[in-house]
Amino acid sequence: METWLIILPILLPWLGAVVVWALQERAPRLQHALAVAFALGGGAAAIALLPHAGDEALVRVPLGTVFGDFTLVPDGLGLFLTIIATVVGGLAVVFSGEYMRGEAQLARYYALVLFFIGAMAGLVLSGGFLMLFLFWEITAFCSYALISFYNDDPKAVSAGVKALIMTQFGGVGLMVLALVAYGYLGSYDINTFIAQAHTLPAGLLGAVAFASLAAAAAKSAQVPFQTWLPDAMEAPTPISALIHAATMVNAGVYLLARLYPAFAEVPGWTAAVVTVGLLSALLAAIMALVATDLKRVLAYSTVSQLGYMVYAVGVGGVFASQLHLLSHSVFKALLFLSAGAIIHAVGTRDMRQMGGLGRKMPIVRAVFVIGALALVGLPPANGFFSKELVLEEGLAHGPAWAYAGMLLGAGLTALYTIRMVAMVFHGESRVTKHVHDALPLMSAPLGLLALGTLTTWLLAGPFSGLLARTLPFHTLEETTTWHLVEEIFTAPATWLALLVIAVGLALWFLRARLDGLRQALQPLSGLAANSFGFEALNRQISHGVRGAAGALSRTQTGQLNWNVAAIVGALALVLAILVWRAG
Amino acid sequence: MDLSLLNVGAVAVLGLLGVGLYGLLVSRNLIKVIIALQLLGKAAVLGLLVAGKASGQMNLSQSLAITVIVADTIVAVVGMALAIQVRRQLKTLDVRELARLKG
Repeated sequence: METWLIILPILLPWLGAVVVWALQERAPRLQHALAVAFALGGGAAAIALLPHAGDEALVRVPLGTVFGDFTLVPDGLGLFLTIIATVVGGLAVVFSGEYMRGEAQLARYYALVLFFIGAMAGLVLSGGFLMLFLFWEITAFCSYALISFYNDDPKAVSAGVKALIMTQFGGVGLMVLALVAYGYLGSYDINTFIAQAHTLPAGLLGAVAFASLAAAAAKSAQVPFQTWLPDAMEAPTPISALIHAATMVNAGVYLLARLYPAFAEVPGWTAAVVTVGLLSALLAAIMALVATDLKRVLAYSTVSQLGYMVYAVGVGGVFASQLHLLSHSVFKALLFLSAGAIIHAVGTRDMRQMGGLGRKMPIVRAVFVIGALALVGLPPANGFFSKELVLEEGLAHGPAWAYAGMLLGAGLTALYTIRMVAMVFHGESRVTKHVHDALPLMSAPLGLLALGTLTTWLLAGPFSGLLARTLPFHTLEETTTWHLVEEIFTAPATWLALLVIAVGLALWFLRARLDGLRQALQPLSGLAANSFGFEALNRQISHGVRGAAGALSRTQTGQLNWNVAAIVGALALVLAILVWRAG
Repeated sequence: MDLSLLNVGAVAVLGLLGVGLYGLLVSRNLIKVIIALQLLGKAAVLGLLVAGKASGQMNLSQSLAITVIVADTIVAVVGMALAIQVRRQLKTLDVRELARLKG
């Protein structure tokens, strides 16, 4: 029974992918209904698995020889991310019904989305590095294919290729980790690795620790790999919600949280994690301040919030980081889907061409403001509780300079969020066409996500219990929601953070009087608009890889004789090596 | 020079291998390519028999040789069928024209 429950969150979406693909262009409405059913079916299976959570593998299939065992482990971390991938992903699929209506090639769209959701569930449930790596690469492929969904648009195609190339850097790091684990411990099992990490040579352990940090940074769009995520905005908006909230970027934070006990003792590792998180949170917040594309602002805010999660892992607050991940996936899905409703209605992503939409789209404004409250970190939204917890952990266990930086980030978050809300919903209307509010298939997921944004913090207590019970190598303690809330409201860190947020909000209202300050910061905003040079760097890398690929493709002549010559040559080489080794 | 059966056999195997590989490398006609492949297959069969004689395991080598003969026949049949299709589609048997499939 449990065995089936743990396979279903992977199997159902993948089965659904095959079914909707087989339907092709014949029945778009049936296709949508099936896609929703298969995604949410996977979610139902994952939720039904909750009572069976534990740290023992429920599925173990020996693959033989060097491939080790394929295991699925229903521990708290994996189960929680599976639920997010399937449920939040399923809501994005529901939303697609309206957003993608009438688009061509919906079979490809739904099949890839379901494949993506299933792969993400497999990634977090896998108990071994090899399968983790395999699923990791499948999610990279799906994100590439979905970002480039409009494959007649060169911008979308190059954004997809860029995402693929940048996340491959991370993939290589993860593969190194898998091979080292197998080479030294004779097993791909993650828990074995964590338990015996200290037996590895110190230098090697350090190398794999930083390799996995690079893997996580590439996947979670952290400095210096962050620029693929804003470019991924070329994808249809439900896909942005999927990548930003339900799947993909969570994988990096998941990897760090999972391996934290193995690497915490490596010298310099936690400091590096804190630095990556801090830089991402701050730089992305500044870039969000100057961006004018609605989805781009949201993308930078994702990078920034992921920075908070990475920072939380760096200071040892694994629970805080995962709680913030939970809050973030709910409120970011809400923000992205409402942005989708706005874009669907207005027909542009440029915030300078919006304004005054609040009166015409009251439902969307209501849910968007709820999401914005969570992003800023104000009660009663879930973002408040998780962000305060992150900052509290940072103050208690992390370096003071990093804490100050994160506090500044919280102020900047408040500033760019209120700027975004004001530009979209308030002020003079700059929209010329007739605007409609969210359609029914759009409002349903929006309403559910808004409800989630206001309530998921109530789950903090049971969630901490789930993690504490099923993660044997992490030192986590079980608390109750009430206790956590009490702790948050009595901590001085909370009031300090709220003060900084208030200052951030006040800066927006005083912006006319602070014109001098804005002039002084002009060079900084120029830098931010150019992504602090990272954009150029990442573009160079992307170009270089594509150039090399183009050069290498010339060796594929398609000439039979050349291929035979290469085969014979390789055979001769192998024989020569064998003879040489024998002699 | 010792003209024992083994030496003659080994020379024959190498000769067949050389002719077959040369044919694969230089011929442009698809039929000739298939003939070259067949020569390579025969070299393999003969090689098995010679090796069986040398190691004294004639039973094993003969059963393997039969297997290779069967597989080789299938290769010939499929290759010829492909050649017929190529001739129909491309109006030529020149393997360089097959590069048009690239892309």
